[in-house]
Amino acid sequence: MTAVRGAPAGDGGDARPAARLRAPAHRVSRRAIAHWAIEYLLVFGPAFGLALGVAAWAGSAGWTGAPGAVAAHAGWLPVAVGAAGVLAVGVAPVWRYRVHRWEVSADVVYTRTGWFDREWLLVPVGRIQTVDAGQGWLERLLGLATVEINTASHTGSSELTGLPVGVATRLAEDLARRAHDLRDDAT
Amino acid sequence: MTVRADGRPPGEREPGAAPPPARQRLHPLTFVVGATRELLALLGAGAAGLLVGGLSTAFYFTLVGLAFGLVFHVTTWATFTYSVGEERVELRRALIGRTVTSIPRDRVRGVDVSATLGHRLLGLAVVRIDAGADGGEGELNAVSRREADRLRRVLLARAPVDAAAAPPARAVLARMRRRWFLYAPLSGAYLFTPFALAGSVLGFLYNLGDDLGLVTRDRVARLGHDVAGLPSAAVVAAAVALLLAMPIGSVIVFTLFNWDFTVTERDGSLVAERGLVTRRSVALERRRVRGVELTDNPFERAARVARVGALVTGLGDAAHRGRLLPAAPRAYAAAVAAAVVGPVPGPLVPHPPAARVRRIVRAAAPPLAVGAVAAAVGQGRVAVLCAVLTVLAVPLGLDRYRQLGHAADAHRFTLRSGSLLRRQVVVDRGAVVGWRVRQSLLQRRVGLATLDAAVGAGEGGYAGLDMAAPDAVAFAAGITPAWVEPFLEPVPRAAGRGG
Repeated sequence: MTAVRGAPAGDGGDARPAARLRAPAHRVSRRAIAHWAIEYLLVFGPAFGLALGVAAWAGSAGWTGAPGAVAAHAGWLPVAVGAAGVLAVGVAPVWRYRVHRWEVSADVVYTRTGWFDREWLLVPVGRIQTVDAGQGWLERLLGLATVEINTASHTGSSELTGLPVGVATRLAEDLARRAHDLRDDAT
Repeated sequence: MTVRADGRPPGEREPGAAPPPARQRLHPLTFVVGATRELLALLGAGAAGLLVGGLSTAFYFTLVGLAFGLVFHVTTWATFTYSVGEERVELRRALIGRTVTSIPRDRVRGVDVSATLGHRLLGLAVVRIDAGADGGEGELNAVSRREADRLRRVLLARAPVDAAAAPPARAVLARMRRRWFLYAPLSGAYLFTPFALAGSVLGFLYNLGDDLGLVTRDRVARLGHDVAGLPSAAVVAAAVALLLAMPIGSVIVFTLFNWDFTVTERDGSLVAERGLVTRRSVALERRRVRGVELTDNPFERAARVARVGALVTGLGDAAHRGRLLPAAPRAYAAAVAAAVVGPVPGPLVPHPPAARVRRIVRAAAPPLAVGAVAAAVGQGRVAVLCAVLTVLAVPLGLDRYRQLGHAADAHRFTLRSGSLLRRQVVVDRGAVVGWRVRQSLLQRRVGLATLDAAVGAGEGGYAGLDMAAPDAVAFAAGITPAWVEPFLEPVPRAAGRGG
């Protein structure tokens, strides 16, 4: 871990040791890997086709000057898009699966998401305003669901993707009930 | 007072409840203001039409429009009533259909009172009731000034207010000094307002002329030739005059908007009043003010001037309505902030040196990348321009790093960032509704993290950019230990303090 300059000042008086968040307890469903892979494929497949088309068109346009200099290298465009696509479809879903975790303690919803960039989100149940469980068409095919948790602030709102349907609906109901019971007036 | 939040349709009451509150009408002089404004506009158009085309159809159309306008204003007035009940404010409009806007009183977050010149001459004011996302909005255009004051007191008070009682004591929290109007040119916005005004006036004249058939291709072309034919000395003189006029114009506009800017506190709300011609007053319920924001730009920083705004729960158009001071010496601004939320925690903890590298790279990378592409395809001029921008970006990045900071005390915390527009927010601890820690791959490599405090007020979230990763977590844990500590990794004491 990186070195810490002194104690974090002004945290209410007592100095704390260097703090790290531990990983949340639960993984999402393994089927989420397939879900993300198909999603990326649906984006990068057409993008690759488009890139091929653009490269062919730019190569035959016969421009001069600066556009011509760019067009001369247009052949690299489908290569770059294709490489990004392979990375996104082959690597990203597994990576995301390893990162995505969630946990609901007595009064806090704790999630970790992302792959390249990561996000840890802590939302106290008492500040939750609405909880939605929803399914897209792809999620329906795979038996997955997404739980959306909204607070008074957009920054404090989160999405739990890739949960099995049963878990998601139970979690949403449970959270909604507890949020109602615990609701305090911070808004 | 008991607040019942049942779903009873408005107007329907349970038997034995208090009699429905009296319905009131807007002030009878209301339509005069609207009608006069239209009268002036239409008279202008009509007169122009008369001059150009004699008693043409355009002129008769103008007269008909005027008559319709008058009828419209009178019927609007006659069909609109409002009532302030124990639980709801109801605005009824019954022209053909009947629409009732019902605003629950316990949702009312702010009451704006504004008066244009016309309203002020007639002793009227427009009252705007803001009840946040789930309460809606209502406008009373217009009532007498006394009624406006009464409504504001009644709607923002928690307990019923006796209308006849003497107005409660008010404490002045802030007041603009005349000298401070000279700070106007420091803020870019006011510097360009005269241009915007001139632009809209010119645009209006052009459209009006176009509608009346005064704009022809010939005339435009002739005007273009005239301008192009001006001697260059005249053009230079005009440019210089414009440059000189900009700061003066900004002071004038600033003064018009912010004349006698006063923030007072009375029975649980903050009231900010301002304006010379149009007098506007915004009332914010005190307990919904969850923090303040101090902003400045480099010029204002050099002059030690800052602006103050309030972070209010569920307030629409917060940038304008939450304003507590448009420009004031820093010490005074800090004192106002302290009066509103309490003393600003300090001194600020600077962020680790790795954050400096990141700020510089992020400032310089975009022009550098564009410059590299430009150089690769042989666009020499663009490449040079980008090189200059890249060099300029380095001090900008350095300053952005210098401005980063965070601090907390027992009741509130503060986060600061930005250079060209530096913002320091001071937020009440209780306003936090969640924490978000973000870490990009690059941040992870150098041990940095960005901490977003989700706040149910203002913009909803405020970021502590590039804090040391353990500091970011410790900062959140220090403010809301109960939420964060259960998820901390158990750190062996010796290893945790190593370094």
